[in-house]
Amino acid sequence: MKTKRHPIAAAGIVFSGICILFPLAVLAVWSISAQWAWPDILPQKLSLRALGELFGGYSGAMDALGLSVLLGLAAAFCATAVGTMTARAVVFYDFPGKRWVSFAAMLPILLPGTALAMGLHVIFLRIGLADTAAGVIIMHVILSTPYTVKLMLDATDAMGRSYEEAALTLGANSLRAFFSVSLPALLPGLAASFVMSYILSFGDYFATLLIGGGNVRTFTVMMAPYLQSGDRTLAASYSVVYILVTLGVFLAFDFVIKRRSA
Amino acid sequence: MNRQKFPLLLLMPLILLTVLVLSSVVICGVQSLGVLPSLGLSKPTLQYFFDLAKGNTAASSGSLLSSAGLSLYIAFASSLLSVLAGVLLCWAITLCKKAGGILRQLLTVPIMLPHLVAALFTVFLFSQSGVFSRLLYALGLLPSQEAFPSLLYDQNSVGIILAYLWKGVPFACYFILPSMSGIEPALYEAAYSMGAEKWKAFFHITLPICMPAVLGAFFILLSYNFGAYELPFLLGETSPKALPVQAYIEYTHPDLLHRPYAMAMNTVMLLVSLVFAFGWKWADSLILKRWGGGLQ
Repeated sequence: MKTKRHPIAAAGIVFSGICILFPLAVLAVWSISAQWAWPDILPQKLSLRALGELFGGYSGAMDALGLSVLLGLAAAFCATAVGTMTARAVVFYDFPGKRWVSFAAMLPILLPGTALAMGLHVIFLRIGLADTAAGVIIMHVILSTPYTVKLMLDATDAMGRSYEEAALTLGANSLRAFFSVSLPALLPGLAASFVMSYILSFGDYFATLLIGGGNVRTFTVMMAPYLQSGDRTLAASYSVVYILVTLGVFLAFDFVIKRRSA
Repeated sequence: MNRQKFPLLLLMPLILLTVLVLSSVVICGVQSLGVLPSLGLSKPTLQYFFDLAKGNTAASSGSLLSSAGLSLYIAFASSLLSVLAGVLLCWAITLCKKAGGILRQLLTVPIMLPHLVAALFTVFLFSQSGVFSRLLYALGLLPSQEAFPSLLYDQNSVGIILAYLWKGVPFACYFILPSMSGIEPALYEAAYSMGAEKWKAFFHITLPICMPAVLGAFFILLSYNFGAYELPFLLGETSPKALPVQAYIEYTHPDLLHRPYAMAMNTVMLLVSLVFAFGWKWADSLILKRWGGGLQ
């Protein structure tokens, strides 16, 4: 079969690529520009002031970054566990009210985020979870479960039950059968769930601000005021660091998964 | 299959989280009726909704209706455009295998980055001192900085919608691509051999098969963009403000008696998203009736 050319489709792809990358490039230039007044196309003066301020000890940005990574890992672990357990219940068991499970799991995407966060804040104030990292983690887990349940449902469905049953008949106990047979088979789904929920937790701003109440200073909570105040260089620097860290975590995770499955 | 046992242990985490979610919905509803025992308010009333509809609360600017209209407009415009562009882009990706493969990798970037960063880009590119204003001036097409149309903080919310598109188009692709790239080539070959044109094949094969995914992407984006705070807060005009922004202002008002106003707006948002959810279900059953089983 000869390869056909699709000039319009190709142009669309190139245009989309530019739409994704061009803003990132502008952001990178802003993060190192000391002076860039209208109407110059290029900055008049460059400096590493903002990036230095970020990496310097006293801005607190690095502590916030560490906290964001930790919260992200914790929330991703919990959300992936919830997804795995729920998917197992739905695929392996038959029980009344089964179709309500996927509806319940979808709720956090269907409901408006602002209303959900404010309602939860009221509850958390009462049970002492407001202004704590634990409260923020629970909030992030709630926001991620729709995705992890969906991803793990697909993965568990694809795996099926037969391998684990084979291990059971060979004399493994059910925990061992799960951990040594099913878990490796679920690895791609687990990885996708983990990455997805990590990204959602790491990037969340509003819910973290509300539930954390300024006590839980994550990277996005620190970054937002600079977006408003108009210190464009500092705002851009925060974004650049954010992008690098997210990409770094993503690539590291990808590397680990590929090595394990190779 | 274990038929007898209810897998309580496995479902426990989801049940606990769902109880939290539903309780927060109930709290929004109860407090919107002005029932706040801790403040000594215990009689349910619809007064707060009426006040908001008339727009005469202390902190609010504009009436509830104009805020709700703005939020609906932003949500519909951004998710409709995202899904339209997403479908076309997915089609392009499946047509051009090589370039499409590279773009597929690139699409993960906007999915990974938060709306905050998208807001910053939008300011850098589309504000009156932004890159496009500079480029137009350099080309001699713009007499002065002020002549550049104010796309941000304006009535049409162009900036908010553009930022939502940067996040939304890749999200729609992420949703639609698996079903579109899973279509059997034999289906197309059969259509082409019977003389169908490319566009005809798209409307009669590609679109029907992808429709459930398209609807999913549309309704998820719709409810997210309707209820999200970040972008209307950073890029929105001062009056009227989108519902989430207005609700947060009332919620954090130093006077706790403003709490019911915040919750009344939350309740309005909850009701609207309920309508969205039913709309999704209805649309899903509609396409099932129209196209379901027709293509295998």
